[in-house]
Amino acid sequence: MKTRRLYTGFVVALAALAWVAIGNPTAANAQAKEFVFTAIPDQDETQLRKRFNKIADYLSKELGIKVKYIPVKSYAAAVTAFRNGEVHLAWFGGLSGVRARSLVDGSVAIAQGFEDKSFETYFIAHASSGLKPADSFPKEIAGKTFTFGSKGSTSGRLMPEFHIRENLKKAPEEVFSKVGFSGNHSKTIALVQSGAYQVGAVNFKVWEKELKAGKIDESKVQVIWRTPPYPDYQWTIRGDVEKTWQAGFVDRVKNALLNMKDKELLDSFPRSSFIPASNSDYQPIKDVAKEIKLIDD
Amino acid sequence: MLLYLENEDLGYQGDIVLHNISLSVSDGERVAFVGKSGAGKSTLLSVLQSRFPNDIALIPQDTGLVRALSLFHNVYMGRLHQNSTFYNLLNLVWPQKPEVEEIGALTTKLGLEGKLFERTGELSGGQQQRTAVCRAIYQGGSAVLGDEPVSAVDNRQAVQILEALNERFDTILLAMHDVDLALRFSDRIIGIQDGKIALDQPATDLQRHDLDFLYIE
Amino acid sequence: MSSDVIVETQSKPRYSQAVRTSFWFVIVALVCLLFSDISITTQDPWTELKRMGWGIITPNFLDYRTILEALVQTIAFALVGVALGAGGGFILAQFFHIGIVRWACAFVRAIHEIFWALIFLQMLGLTPLTGLLAIGIPYAGICAKVYAETLEEADLRAEKAVPGGSGLLSTFFYARLPEVWAHIVHYTSYRFECGLRSSAVLGFIGMPTLGFHLESAFGEGNYSDAAALLIAFYILIVTLRFWMRGRLLWLYLLAAPLFLTGGSEIKLTNIVRFLTSDIVPAPLRIGDFSGFVDWIVSMFQTQVLPGVFATVILTQIALVMTAFLALVLFPLISEKFFGQFGRSIGHVFLVIVRSTPEFILAYIFLQLWGPSMLPAIVALSLHNGAIIGHLMGRYSNEILLRPDHGKGLNLYGYEIVPRIYGQFLAFLFYRWEVIMRETAILGILGIATLGFFVDSAIADIRLDRAMFLIFITAILNIGIDIISRKLRARLRINQTVEAV
Repeated sequence: MKTRRLYTGFVVALAALAWVAIGNPTAANAQAKEFVFTAIPDQDETQLRKRFNKIADYLSKELGIKVKYIPVKSYAAAVTAFRNGEVHLAWFGGLSGVRARSLVDGSVAIAQGFEDKSFETYFIAHASSGLKPADSFPKEIAGKTFTFGSKGSTSGRLMPEFHIRENLKKAPEEVFSKVGFSGNHSKTIALVQSGAYQVGAVNFKVWEKELKAGKIDESKVQVIWRTPPYPDYQWTIRGDVEKTWQAGFVDRVKNALLNMKDKELLDSFPRSSFIPASNSDYQPIKDVAKEIKLIDD
Repeated sequence: MLLYLENEDLGYQGDIVLHNISLSVSDGERVAFVGKSGAGKSTLLSVLQSRFPNDIALIPQDTGLVRALSLFHNVYMGRLHQNSTFYNLLNLVWPQKPEVEEIGALTTKLGLEGKLFERTGELSGGQQQRTAVCRAIYQGGSAVLGDEPVSAVDNRQAVQILEALNERFDTILLAMHDVDLALRFSDRIIGIQDGKIALDQPATDLQRHDLDFLYIE
Repeated sequence: MSSDVIVETQSKPRYSQAVRTSFWFVIVALVCLLFSDISITTQDPWTELKRMGWGIITPNFLDYRTILEALVQTIAFALVGVALGAGGGFILAQFFHIGIVRWACAFVRAIHEIFWALIFLQMLGLTPLTGLLAIGIPYAGICAKVYAETLEEADLRAEKAVPGGSGLLSTFFYARLPEVWAHIVHYTSYRFECGLRSSAVLGFIGMPTLGFHLESAFGEGNYSDAAALLIAFYILIVTLRFWMRGRLLWLYLLAAPLFLTGGSEIKLTNIVRFLTSDIVPAPLRIGDFSGFVDWIVSMFQTQVLPGVFATVILTQIALVMTAFLALVLFPLISEKFFGQFGRSIGHVFLVIVRSTPEFILAYIFLQLWGPSMLPAIVALSLHNGAIIGHLMGRYSNEILLRPDHGKGLNLYGYEIVPRIYGQFLAFLFYRWEVIMRETAILGILGIATLGFFVDSAIADIRLDRAMFLIFITAILNIGIDIISRKLRARLRINQTVEAV
């Protein structure tokens, strides 16, 4: 009797697999007409869904088509989903956007937040490290323990690494006694605040938000250096969307984003407004990424 | 002639247990192997088994039951070779009516009524032994070879089992520890002592005390 | 050598081979310790730890719908994934004597479920199939190995009684399989618990299982939410034996696929691109063969060699620590040492320790001790020690003791441990591979294991490098598999254990 169970189980599993593989054809058809977007999970992931579902509603209303947001768990997953055509539009960081556009011909950056023109990374340090705020790059950080954010982050990885290499002429592993990747900006702050790592690099927007929320004790952790500004987050869209929807669709999406005036929507990013962006705005990011060999060619 | 051995040394993997054995068995003979435990009966039987044609029915000393399977399935295993694989597998998951009826009748006859779908691992030693006998009977064929097939049952059941075997098979080779039963149900007695055939005579020529010497310490 | 010892000194104590082998493992771990960095550097972990503690005592179940949904998804992925793995493994087990099958199985189980998921994410996108294959494929490799060993050691007496000419299949299903069926079912149900863990963890990379929300909540420091999710998961595991019943399995398996829907469409072009371009080393894509040589050399210098070094060091230390912890923990759930009440507490404790994802354990210890190998060692060995402790505890319950046996440490040292020591080593040798595989996911600690480099390569969308490193990892794993098999054969340890 028991053998029967095993085999039935196996057959059922196979059938299930087949069903899933075929992917529930009706659903797939519906999706073909659905405009899908994603966003890098840079912070406040639990809020991401709420935030972007509102954006989906907004876009849906503006564009007159069905719009859906799908959450992803990493920068790389966002880029992959964009590359594979699972999503048509994405809210990328500087580095992930550069990666995505180099992988998908015809994709373009269409809008960025007003603040993203001149984004910054804060170097933060635990009080016990003895590091003090300075205007120039704090070379004394050499020999300390250091944590980046996510491996694929612009503000948490690319730009801080660039400035470390630029100023100390060595790779981070050689500069610091330990190098970690906290995974996200909130964790970077928590790890430096507890002194688990002495120094860290964090997205300035996240820092300010957590400071406002009272999660930071400035007697324990403080900003010791701010990087020069660089371009960061942007909306990037696939070129082939005009094949599915009509010509001029890219501009319609762009205008919808630029016309977003609802303070609640904008605050959730948090950005004061969206302004036009182009691929060339991100050339500096691309150059830096190539220089520190995070991307090829 | 069913089986023929001449001056052979028998044993396992170079470890010779039986020396210089000459023995022939013809169709239709009912042979009982008797002797002390450790004399070499089991070795002889396992050698005989390997020399026999494939379709001989077996009752191994350890019963050879699949303890996780039911009485029904263990008995049915006697005819795996006669049915298609498909039918065998079908019977495994969904016992078929003709088999259930036939095996039900057979097992009832040997005192196993009501146990048909019980796991054999949960049966008593005597019941397991009868299950193994049922399997051999169900398998059928012309010959059966059994190593102590009635060691775990009482005398009444032993008689029942031996009668059933006699009814079913022309040729019977059994190792037995009970000399009376051996004399009663066999045509020929082969006595094994210290790895040799010490006696080989028709049962009718023998009395119980003729066999006593085999059991002297 | 051993005979000399006997002749020379009858009076000196001699240690069994098992004990001597254990001794060597400890020596190796101590040597590894010299090369490892286990400094303690933290300043004031207590703010963060207090917040975590507060989260645990104030779990937030308000969003119970999300939790329930995630639990259902976790179960559904585990059920179908493990069913695929068990079914596939069962078939593969029949061919396990063929070298290539054995190698292939060792290869697929060398790769962490998360990496399998990341690979399929490239090809299939965020579809349920990605998660199912990520569980199913490595589990097939693991199950094939265990099933094959189980079948090999089946009691063959029944098979001898089968009439000649019965056919392979009939003989197999009547005389071989039923003999080991109970063991296979037992093992597969253990696998299912592992499957639940794997399924939960797949949420970290985007499957809609428990890990999805757990990673978010934990990452942002919403510890009350994280605690609620973890507690829900513990309850799921603790109650497993009540709801995972033979007959219900049918129903579950039929229902599970209904929950595994959605996701995007699977595109053949993505699969083809992955297989024919993405994973081809970058220089080869443009036909630059000398560049390819440089590529390999540089991969070895900068990633493979340091990665292998760190991986082996961490693995060996964590393995020995796991052993110690398992020996300490198993009495907690053993009938031989504790009564019903004590054992229940022990059970809950072991469930908590083994079901908490390693990265959360690692994070807690990172707060406590700062970045070094220490948090990694402790996190890995606690997790694995609790698993082996659980299996040993159950195993010890089957020991029959004479009525006048000793108590307490005498019982432990004279009666129980000697009896289960072989099994204990077998569990550990199986777990060895797993520990190595798990060193991969502790990037937060900045320990540059092979897995760390794989993760980096995937983050950089450099899939050629990722696949190359995964390949190296698999070879390392096969090496460990060979060593552990040789050791088990030498120590004549029962091969068919339930732990992998």
